[in-house]
Amino acid sequence: MDMLELRGIDKVYRSRGKAPVHAVRALDMAVEKGEIVALLGSSGCGKTSTLRMIAGFEDVSAGSIALGGRRIHELPPARRKVAMAFEGYSLYPPLTVRENIAFALKSAQLSRAEVTRRVDEIARLVEIEDILDSYPRAISGGQQQRVSLARALVRDADLYLLDEPMGQLEPQLRAVLRGRIKSLLAERGMTAIFVTHDQTEASALADRIAVMEGGVLQQFASEKELKGRPANLFVASFIGEPPMNLLEAAVTRTDGGFRLSVGTDMAFDIGGAGLDGEAAKALAGTFQVRIGIRPQKIAVGTGDVRVKVVSNQWLGDQSHIAGDGGGRMLIAVTPGRVAARPGDIVPFALEPRHLHIFGSDGTCLRHAEVT
Amino acid sequence: MARLDINSVSKAFGAARPADGLSLAVEPGEIVAVFGPSGSGKTVLLRMIAGMFEPDDGDILIGGRSVVGAPPERRGIGMAFQNFALFPHMTARDNIASGLRASGNEVASRVAAISKLLKIEHVLSHAPRELSNGQKQRTALARALIGNPDVLLLDDPLRNVDAKLRYEMRLELPNLLRRGTAAVLYVTQDYREAMAIADRIAVLIDGRLAQVATPADIYAQPASVAIARLFGDPTINLAEVSPVAEHGVLSATVAGARMRLGAADGAAPAGACWLGVRPEDIAVSSASTDDAIPARILAITPMHEKAVLLLRLADGTEWLAALPPDVPHSAADDNVFVRFASDAAMLFDRATGLRIGPTHRLKAA
Amino acid sequence: MEHSSPAGRVFRGVALTLILIFFMFPIVWIFLMSFQTNEQILRIPPRVLFEPTLANYEALISGQLRTAAGNLQISFMRNLFNSVVLSSAAVLLALLLGVPAAYAFARFKFRLGESIAFTLLSFRFAPPLLVLLPLSLYYQELGLNDTYFGIVWVYQLIALPLILWIVRGYFEDISPDIEHAYRLAGHSWREAFTRIAVPLAGPGIAAAGLLSFIFCWNNFVFALILASADKQPVTVGALAFVTASGIQYGQIAAAIVLSVTPTLLLALYAQRYLVEGLSLGAVKG
Repeated sequence: MDMLELRGIDKVYRSRGKAPVHAVRALDMAVEKGEIVALLGSSGCGKTSTLRMIAGFEDVSAGSIALGGRRIHELPPARRKVAMAFEGYSLYPPLTVRENIAFALKSAQLSRAEVTRRVDEIARLVEIEDILDSYPRAISGGQQQRVSLARALVRDADLYLLDEPMGQLEPQLRAVLRGRIKSLLAERGMTAIFVTHDQTEASALADRIAVMEGGVLQQFASEKELKGRPANLFVASFIGEPPMNLLEAAVTRTDGGFRLSVGTDMAFDIGGAGLDGEAAKALAGTFQVRIGIRPQKIAVGTGDVRVKVVSNQWLGDQSHIAGDGGGRMLIAVTPGRVAARPGDIVPFALEPRHLHIFGSDGTCLRHAEVT
Repeated sequence: MARLDINSVSKAFGAARPADGLSLAVEPGEIVAVFGPSGSGKTVLLRMIAGMFEPDDGDILIGGRSVVGAPPERRGIGMAFQNFALFPHMTARDNIASGLRASGNEVASRVAAISKLLKIEHVLSHAPRELSNGQKQRTALARALIGNPDVLLLDDPLRNVDAKLRYEMRLELPNLLRRGTAAVLYVTQDYREAMAIADRIAVLIDGRLAQVATPADIYAQPASVAIARLFGDPTINLAEVSPVAEHGVLSATVAGARMRLGAADGAAPAGACWLGVRPEDIAVSSASTDDAIPARILAITPMHEKAVLLLRLADGTEWLAALPPDVPHSAADDNVFVRFASDAAMLFDRATGLRIGPTHRLKAA
Repeated sequence: MEHSSPAGRVFRGVALTLILIFFMFPIVWIFLMSFQTNEQILRIPPRVLFEPTLANYEALISGQLRTAAGNLQISFMRNLFNSVVLSSAAVLLALLLGVPAAYAFARFKFRLGESIAFTLLSFRFAPPLLVLLPLSLYYQELGLNDTYFGIVWVYQLIALPLILWIVRGYFEDISPDIEHAYRLAGHSWREAFTRIAVPLAGPGIAAAGLLSFIFCWNNFVFALILASADKQPVTVGALAFVTASGIQYGQIAAAIVLSVTPTLLLALYAQRYLVEGLSLGAVKG
C-alpha cells in the first residue's frame, strides 16, 4: 500500500524583481508503508523544498500530496501527522535534553511513566542517556543532532521526515547509529523520508533513493539498481564513491558487434549477442559514445591497459590508484595494498562486460552486466 | 630547503592545554598530517607555527633557526585556511599575487604557472564572491604555494568543498605539495584524507602527540585503543576480555565463544584487556563451529561498496562487520556466526588503553 | 508561507502611504512654510495654496532680517559655514582616532580593554549641561573658549564613542584569518590594517562617520555655551530669529531647509556605501 503519494508536484519561488525559481518540477513519487526513502542530490536540487512541502512549511505550487489516504497538502503542519528532525536541530534552549524529547510527546496524552519509558528507550538507542539532564547549549553539535533525531523518532506519526539527520554525528558512532536506526524503523514499520547530500548515508539507510537534480527526479530506485542500472549519465556519475570513470569512445562496426575505441590505446569489443535490439540500433546510429566503468571494477596488475601511476593511496582497507592512460585519468579501487609508486607503469584490466555505455544525450544505451 | 622542528611546545588558554609538550620534526619535502578529533589542539599548533600566537614554552625552528617572537611575515610560511580567507576586495589574480614582491613580468608569469597547475586560469579576474567553493580553495592554495615557502601549513583545506571535489583534490594534492621542498603540515579531521595525503601522520589527542608513524603503520599497529577508534570506517569493534595462555596459544572468551588470539609468546597479557577487531576482518556465516560467536543481524547498511552488518552478539555487545559486496550474506534478523582470524585481533590494556604485544597485521598485496 | 493575495497587496499599499504621510508631513510643511510670509503662515485656517515668495531665502543670504521693528543684522551664512567646518573637522578627527582604537578593541584582548571601551561609551550617558559648566571654566583658563579647535575637541564627546562602537562591530565581523593570510603573504600589521581591515570595514566606517556628522551638526548646547557669534553653528544661530517683535517663522523654515540640505545630500551620497554588503564572499558560504 502506498503510504505517501506525491502527484505532479511543482514548486515555484517568485520574488519581485527576480526571475521565478522552479525548484521542483512535475514530481511523482509513491512511498510504501514501512519504507525508508532518501532524497539525494547536491544543494539546490529541490530535495529540501520537497521535504518542506510534505511537512507543510511550504505550499505546493501545483499537485497534490496524500498521506495514508488523506489529502494533506492543504492542512497546516500540525495536523499532517508527520514528525520532523530539522537540519539546524531547533532544540528548545530553556529545556533540558529530556524535556526537549518529552515535549514531542505532549500532545499524545501519555502517562508520566510511559513518557519516561519512551524517552529512556530512544535515548539509549542514540547514546544520550548521560546527557539527558543537560541543556542544549552545554552539549556538542553531534550530541545536539542525536537529541534532535530522538525527538523526532520518539513520536507516533504516520511519516518521519529527517533533514540531513546524520551529517554532524561523530564519525566513530555513525555506522552503529545508522544500523540501530534502520533496525528501529524496520521493527516498528515506520515510514521515513530523509534528505541528504551524502550518498554514503543514503545507501546505508534507505530502501530506495530518489536522486534529484535541477528540481527533476532523475531516478527512484534501490541503491543496487542505481549503481547497476543507472537511468542516465547524471545518475551514473553522481552515484558511486569514487565516481565512475568516464571516457569518450568512437564506435565502429565489427563482425557481429561493435568496437569502442578510446584514443589509440584502448579498445573494447562489444558482442552483438550481449546487446538488446534497442541498444544495438542506437550504437549503429552513432559514432561517439561515453563509456563508464566503476573504479571497483578495474583490476590492477593484470590486463592490457598500461597506465602511469599518478597516485597510490592506501586507506587501511582499500587502495585507490589513479593512473594516466594516454592522457586520460583512470581510478581503480582494490581491497589490498598495491606495490606501485607514482611514475611506475602498471597494467589495468577493463573488461567490456563491466562497461556502461551512454549516448551523446546522456541516455543509457547499455548497462554493465550484473555479477 | 628547510626543515621544521617543533621542540616540546606548550600552550595554555586558562584551564585548557591545547598543546602539552609537543615535539615533531618535518623534513623538507615531507607531508605530515596532523590528525585528531575536534578540540584536540590541531589548529592551535598550526597557529603557533604561523605566529598568530606564541607558545608559552618550547621552541619552533624553521631551517634550524628559532622563529618564536618573529612576526608572521618574516617566517617564510605559506598557509591555506579552512574558511579560505581570501581578500574579498581583490580579484583571484591579486589574491594569488599578494605575497610576491617582484617585477610585473615575473609576477604575471608565476601567477600564470601556479594557476595553470591548479586549473583556475579562467577565473583569475573574478572576485572571490563569484567563485565556487572549490575555486576559492584552489585560489587559496595557489596563494599559499606561489611564494615557494619553507613551511606550508594547511588547515583542513578540503573541509568546505563538496565530496566530489574533495576526492579529486585528495588525489592531486600530494603531487602538488611535493613539487617544492616545503615541509608540509596538513591538518585534517578525516582519517582517510590523512592516510591518502600524508607521508606520516601525527595523531594529536588532548594536546599531546599520541603516535607519529606512517599511515599504514598507524592503521595496522595503533599505539592505543583511542587511536584505533579514530582510524577506520566503520569503527573498530571492541570487547572486554581477559586473555589466557594455554599450550602456547593465547585465547579469550568473547560472548561465550572461545576465540584464538594468536601465539602466546612469553607471558600472557595480565588482567583485563580490550579486544579490538576491525569490521573488515570479520567473517560472517550461517555455519556454527567452536571458534565462532553466535550473533543476530540487526540491520544491513551498505557503505563504500561494502555491506556493513550491525550484529548483536550473544552477550548483547554490538559489533559491525564490513563484507565485500560480492560475498553473499544473510538478511536482517538472521542468526549467524562471527569469526575473525587470530592475527586480526588487537589487544589493548584496559587501564592504560595502550596496545599489547606484537602485531603481524601488515598485509602485503 | 507567502501571503500575496490582491486584497493584502492593496492593504499594504494603503498602510505604507498613511505611514509615509505621517512621517513626511512636518518636513513637507516646513518646506512649504519657507516660501511664505509670516502673515500667510499665521492665518487661520491654514491654506495649502499660496503665492510663493523667495523673500525668506533672500533675507538669510543677504543677512538682513526685516521685522516690524526694523532691520536686524543676522549672520546665517556665516553660521552655516561654521556648522560645516565644525562638523567635518570633528568627524575627521574622530575617524582618525576612533578607527584605529576600534580595531584595537576588536582584535586585541588587553587588560582593562573592555572597561576603557565602556568608559568611552559612557561619555554619551552624561547630561551635556553638567559637563559643560566645569568645562567652560577650564576652557576659559586654557584660552580654548570661542575657538574652532575647542569646539571640535568637545564634539569628540559625541562622535568618538559612536565611531568606536559601530566600527568595532564591523571589525569583529571580519574573519581574522583574512588578515593572518595577508601577513603570511609578507606584509606588516600596518599594511594588513590599512589594506585589508579598513577597506573591508568601509561600509561601517561610512555609516559611523555619517551618523556622527549628523549628531555633531544637530548639536546645540556645546556651541551655545562655548562659542560666541562668529563661531556659532546654525543650531545656535537660529536663536536670532526669535526677535523682540515676534518670531520669524518663514525665515526659520527657510533656515531649516538650508541647514538640512548638506546632511541630506551627504546621506544620499553615502547610502550606496551603507547598503553594500560587508561579507563579499571572502570566507566559505
